[in-house]
Amino acid sequence: MTEQIPDKEPEQINERSDADTEVEINSRSTADQSWLKSRIGKWRESGLITDEQSQAILDFESTGTPRFRLGIRFNRLIVVLSTLGAVLIAAGLISFVAANWQGIPAMAKLFLLIGGNILTYWAAYQLQFVRGYPRVGGAIMFTGAAWFGANVFLVAQSYHLATDNPDLLIWWFLGILTLAYITRSKAITVMAVGIFTVGVAWKAATQTDNVSGVLLVMGMLLFTAAALYAIGMLHLRRGNLKFHAGPYLVSGVLLAIGMTYVLTFGDVFRGLLGERVVDPQALPGQYLVMAAMVSGISVAAMVMAVRKPVYKRKTLISRFAEPGVIALVVGFGWFIAALPLGSPGPYVIASNLLLVVLIFGSIILGIVNRREAFVNVGIIFFVIDLATRYIELTVDMLETSLAFIIGGLLLLGIGYGMERARRRLLRQFGMMEVSHDS
Amino acid sequence: MTPKLKRLFIAVVVVQVVFLLGIVGYRETILTLGRTVVLQAIPVDPRDLFKGEDVVLRYEISTIGNYNRPAPGIDEIRVPDAGEIVQPVRRETSTPSKSYFLLGEISEGDTVYVGLPGDNDDRFKVLDVQTGGPSPETDLFIKGRVTRSKDGTLTVEYGIEQYFVPEGRGKEIELADDVKVRVSINRSGTAAIKELIVDGEIWRP
Repeated sequence: MTEQIPDKEPEQINERSDADTEVEINSRSTADQSWLKSRIGKWRESGLITDEQSQAILDFESTGTPRFRLGIRFNRLIVVLSTLGAVLIAAGLISFVAANWQGIPAMAKLFLLIGGNILTYWAAYQLQFVRGYPRVGGAIMFTGAAWFGANVFLVAQSYHLATDNPDLLIWWFLGILTLAYITRSKAITVMAVGIFTVGVAWKAATQTDNVSGVLLVMGMLLFTAAALYAIGMLHLRRGNLKFHAGPYLVSGVLLAIGMTYVLTFGDVFRGLLGERVVDPQALPGQYLVMAAMVSGISVAAMVMAVRKPVYKRKTLISRFAEPGVIALVVGFGWFIAALPLGSPGPYVIASNLLLVVLIFGSIILGIVNRREAFVNVGIIFFVIDLATRYIELTVDMLETSLAFIIGGLLLLGIGYGMERARRRLLRQFGMMEVSHDS
Repeated sequence: MTPKLKRLFIAVVVVQVVFLLGIVGYRETILTLGRTVVLQAIPVDPRDLFKGEDVVLRYEISTIGNYNRPAPGIDEIRVPDAGEIVQPVRRETSTPSKSYFLLGEISEGDTVYVGLPGDNDDRFKVLDVQTGGPSPETDLFIKGRVTRSKDGTLTVEYGIEQYFVPEGRGKEIELADDVKVRVSINRSGTAAIKELIVDGEIWRP
């Protein structure tokens, strides 16, 4: 059917559209070919298919040499030149504004900031959802989300409001969270999660001037880690939200393991408990409210995730392993924040035990749920923890240089062994590629 | 993008813009419609003054001290008996040029309403400081938050402790002999900085 474009001959329209379609199809075929070749390579490497089978597949799927239109197409040249021109104009405008920023009236500045943000969103929408440039549009959408955050701080600065205020981060987070889901942007989801984590930790840090503020922040980060992971679990249970689960899950695991690792060092507690700086009864009221809210989010999300029908079909252990670990992390967070005991020993022991649980839990969950990122995080922290404990144990027993040599050799050996084990595990469970979308 | 998602996208952008304009509108309202007061800024350790592009400001009313000192006419503070109803004790305290009555117990984190000299500018009038709302006897007051309460001294922040300046110009304020701050205060006691008066002249950014 001919397109309804006035003052054009139907034959010309079809020719142009066919030619464009032809180039488009050939481009896609080349991309598909590259993908297929890389996949076949991995299948062959894992032993799923033989060399003969891989060649047969390639021959069957081959579409021959892609036919590219050589030479310059006039309309493409126009698009390229126009885009370059637009970029130059934009760069010039930005330079002009930056050079004259101080002389621009306050209201005009605000108009530029907010207007520019709106323009960025419009351009991103057009590129991502109308013109068919999802990657470029997505990148510009991310820029728009970052610009909104900058606007929050710049508007505060314009009116001489305190910018060292964690509430500004929380407002930024709230402003872009919905945007991440509407535009299906994993990058904005990651940004939102990062902003939320920093904002909550910062807010916890402002609750007290006491040295014990360090542990309050650590406790809050553990609550946040549990909440992020539980929210990630909830996302996995809904088909249209699975896409966004990854950032929550990975950040939750990283944060939990990272914080627990830091707490395995006895010096963290010795300094505080030795001087009796900390008063276990004196948790600030606002901190208690925040901690209760974030812990509550973990528990609520966890309960909702476990209640989903698909979850109920799993075995008892697999059904409650994750919630159990989440509860453990939340409980440990309260243990750290409240500091009910007077000596550092129990805290160090609990931290080390929890770290072991988290590291091996991460590896096992990664294998069971086919998440290579979890396996990698678990292995990396296993090596880091091993190296740390080795150095702690040997630093006084061995001469430093000898300790380093032995330690280095051990690490190389462990690394080699871990890589072989990792590959074997991934092959055994059929995991060939990092899964980014589920 | 489906029509529903498109509408949601537009709604999110609108909410972001409205939020920013809301901040702008609120602060402009304070600056335009609030009562103007000139506060004396006191020197701050120069090492703390210049944080990047902002100037740290402290005021005479930022520190209200020694509120456990008994009020005039009372020799000692009596510990009330169990169940006894205690009327708020008016304790006199002072800052360099003013005297304040601290009404009731004031702790860290509390929101306080600090009386300010009115248009008649009686600098030695005794003014009230209390939580829960301004004193009915106070004509002009500013709202702040107690950030520190130690050894009978309150440190209060009013949201006007930062002033952003163009890069490189903080030194002018840092080295000045006298810095006053003209602020606008709305009916609820929220303050906004209008301008600085450095060594008797309005400081232009």
